[in-house]
Amino acid sequence: MTIAATAPAVVQKRRSAFSRHLTAYLFISPWILGFLFFTLGPLLFSLTMSFHDWPVVGERTFVGFDNYRTMLLEDPQFWESLWITVKFAAIYVPFNIVMSFLIALMLHHATFASGFFRTAFYLPSVISGVALVTIWSWIYSREYGLLNFMLSLVGVDGPNWLGDPGLAIVAIIIASLWGFGGTMLILLTGLKAIPKELYEAATVSGVPGWAQMLFITLPMLGPMLLFTFITSIIAAFQQLTIALLMTKGGPLGSTYFFAMYIYDNAFKYFDMGYAAAGSWVMFLIVLVLSLLVMRWSSAWVYYEGEVKGGDRNA
Amino acid sequence: MRKTLLYSALVLLSALFIAPFYWTFMTAIKSQADLYQFPPVFWPSEWHFENFAIAWNKQPFGTYLTNSLIVVVFSTIGQLVSSSLVAYGFARFRFPGRDPLFILLLATMMIPWDVKMIPLYMEFNLLGWINTLKPLIVPAYFADAFFVFLLRQYIMTVPVEIDEAARMDGANAFDIYWRIHLPLMMPALVLVGTFHFMNAWNDYLGPLIFLNDQSMYTLTLGLSMFKGLHEVDVTSIAAITVVLCLPPLALFFLAQRYIMDGAVGSSVKG
Amino acid sequence: MRKNTTVIAGSLAAFLLAGSVSARAEEVLRFATWDSDESLAIQQAIAKKFEEKHPGVKVQVEPYADGYDQKLVAAFGAGSPPDVMYMWNFPQYYTSLMPLDDLIARDAAEIKPDDIPQGLMNTTRVEGKTYGMPSGFTTQVVFYNKDMFKAAGVEEPKEGWTWDDLRAKAAKFRDKDNKVYGFAVDAKPDPYDFEQFLWSNGTKYISDDGKTIDGYMNSDAAAEVLDMFGDMARKEEAATLHLGDDTSGDTLFKGGKIAMFQSAMWSKAGIDAAGFGYGVAPLPKFGDKPAHSALGVSAMSIAKDAKQPDLAWEFVKFFSSPEAVAMRTNDLPVRTSVAEEKGMTSDPVYKPFFDILATSDIETHAFLKNRNWGKVQDNLARAIEATMIDQGNAKAHLDDAVKRSQRFLK
Repeated sequence: MTIAATAPAVVQKRRSAFSRHLTAYLFISPWILGFLFFTLGPLLFSLTMSFHDWPVVGERTFVGFDNYRTMLLEDPQFWESLWITVKFAAIYVPFNIVMSFLIALMLHHATFASGFFRTAFYLPSVISGVALVTIWSWIYSREYGLLNFMLSLVGVDGPNWLGDPGLAIVAIIIASLWGFGGTMLILLTGLKAIPKELYEAATVSGVPGWAQMLFITLPMLGPMLLFTFITSIIAAFQQLTIALLMTKGGPLGSTYFFAMYIYDNAFKYFDMGYAAAGSWVMFLIVLVLSLLVMRWSSAWVYYEGEVKGGDRNA
Repeated sequence: MRKTLLYSALVLLSALFIAPFYWTFMTAIKSQADLYQFPPVFWPSEWHFENFAIAWNKQPFGTYLTNSLIVVVFSTIGQLVSSSLVAYGFARFRFPGRDPLFILLLATMMIPWDVKMIPLYMEFNLLGWINTLKPLIVPAYFADAFFVFLLRQYIMTVPVEIDEAARMDGANAFDIYWRIHLPLMMPALVLVGTFHFMNAWNDYLGPLIFLNDQSMYTLTLGLSMFKGLHEVDVTSIAAITVVLCLPPLALFFLAQRYIMDGAVGSSVKG
Repeated sequence: MRKNTTVIAGSLAAFLLAGSVSARAEEVLRFATWDSDESLAIQQAIAKKFEEKHPGVKVQVEPYADGYDQKLVAAFGAGSPPDVMYMWNFPQYYTSLMPLDDLIARDAAEIKPDDIPQGLMNTTRVEGKTYGMPSGFTTQVVFYNKDMFKAAGVEEPKEGWTWDDLRAKAAKFRDKDNKVYGFAVDAKPDPYDFEQFLWSNGTKYISDDGKTIDGYMNSDAAAEVLDMFGDMARKEEAATLHLGDDTSGDTLFKGGKIAMFQSAMWSKAGIDAAGFGYGVAPLPKFGDKPAHSALGVSAMSIAKDAKQPDLAWEFVKFFSSPEAVAMRTNDLPVRTSVAEEKGMTSDPVYKPFFDILATSDIETHAFLKNRNWGKVQDNLARAIEATMIDQGNAKAHLDDAVKRSQRFLK
């Protein structure tokens, strides 16, 4: 990553900063416009609403920080659902990444019928939410389910997977991990992009397999690992569909995720201002977590093509 | 020996992931009597293939299919074009406000849908877009943060020296995007296309909120209509689910080999 | 590069402009419903009839099934609700609905309000005003599988039976190997329907002024009801529903896994299709106290800002007219005259539904008494679930629910 200031590059550097930056802004303009059209308005609207008492079908009243105060100080549901979500994320995120990475590695080395295997692992991600409930309820059902049927064949009286407050969260985590296909494909794509020459050179120099993994694969995969890390955190905090469809937050609120808490306030209690406040709290938590990960990542993510220092693309 | 181990593991694991699909298919063709047996019926005594036709004809699924296809095709094109342009912009340029803007881009992924929904509805209502497919298509032309982030990470694994060389040959920024990075990005673009296709194809909330009339409904909305407040039509859900899975699966099977051939070297040398 | 950008921008603009801008010559009335499948088909047929009678009017039926509430919240929140909609949750929506009392009084000769039972009209009233017209309803009953009763040699339920009778019968059906039970209790019942058991045992969720739950929701009579269901689960007289899986009572009953099943009209079509002989019994009594039933009413409401209020009112009126009511075969006729004409009030299958309607107009559903009921109800639902998991201990769980709910009653 040396900055070899060759003659033409120097000439280009002298071009006006305006034109250089304009090109950059032109490239990102679709997103900027989209942000202004479709995101900024709703964002400001929901921020304003979080300071209002708004029963959706009625008058709005300004209440200052009341929604936030009630939520943090008086509402046990808030802390309970937040704690459940944190627990979920703490297990789901690492498992999702490690599992994706391991299977991606296996697929990377598999040459026979690789298309079939890739499709098979991606299959669950293709099935839509409505059908997922039917499938999982068939698997987990205490009396009529496949899982307990299998267990009964080896003489085990299976538990009530979704009916036991201690087990339900485990069942939800398994069901969520089942949709790991997307993450796995991202990592597989990253693996495929690592130049083979690196491994060949390492093998020639007698570098053992584990060291190649540690010093070639992981660093080269860094940018993709970071991506899956951050998007998994976001996904974990927004976890709603599976729990909403499978357990509706039960039993005894043991799978009552923070996203469901927001959802209920909005669509069950019609308390849109309160729901907006909850959304902003969640937004801030996820943002802070992501920024911490980003900062920490600079220690282990290596960008082959990072544009640092001078601008070389004008 | 190692290969044998690898393939046995793969076969075993993939069976876990295929089994539910198998079950969905079997549920679709089972008779009502077989549906609620215990122990579960793994191989139905009678095969009712007409269940597919019955489910399909219970609602105007032909219309739904047309609508879904329009949404998916047009929004996927938009997503591929816009996200790759924006990702290239973030990955390869240095400009004032780049890092804050990138953080902002990431932040937009973190806003829960519940609170964006009503203001978006108001906006689309003002534009006269409610009960049209536009709210489901147009935003895709303005780059989605998830895909921009993904493509940006991918571009950043490509050595800058490649850009340099092209520029020395007189290529401008767009040429570099078009002739070098798009081909290099192909595996990641296939991913983006696949993911976006799936999201749009399976999207339930968007169509539910922005569409009113059955003549505008998409396939997922039709599927959800089998789950009423009190009665659930399990056979029809299973049948339509199977039908709904096939186009994206077929497409994915065709597309996935491009993910495979993603070695940087080959395209660069060409 | 600039040239390419122009091309992209140009094609984008062309695409944006080429929308479906179709001029609408006819008047369009938007009608939102939560029904799907057969019930939806019936409503579409009624809407068609209405269109025939009003040339130039198009009724746009908007079915949202399971997503009904979410859609309605978004539409109301954004200020663009449908003109006419199905409604049951009046306390949440009434400020945006059109009061109908004046219209009902004006058109009384045509509507004949006396033909519609008062108990049904009560469910559409908030703070003394009427916001909806009932178009269909259901009460709760017990379906029983006649074939299973015959095979087990158990005497069929009789009018005036009690929960003790039901339990004694249920115990005789338990077959562990084939996973057969006599009855099913629901760990996650709709609290709206569940209140009927408290009424039947002489209590209610909340005081009539909507201010007190302590001593109501957690009264001994309420705990007795919950403990009884818990006990039925423990003694295996009943399967427990919705404790961990989505298998519904309908499914088990249709599959011959339970002999008796408490439900409502919405289950009947499916049971008919299952093809075995079944009977309908009234809800059992607690001792000699009369049984009460929850009222499930599909009422039609008009948005306050409906663009064509007159047309909307015509449509609502038509939906509760004898002609339309007679077309509804998936729920029960709200008009006594139609029910009698069809002979339903003496038909053994339908009679229990109508009999209990007569004793069910004295209580008011809790949600009509307090605006925050939705939040209280979730704590209550958790207490019911906890009791079913513990298979008893109701009093403690209900006390806890009352404690957690106090802040919503301020």
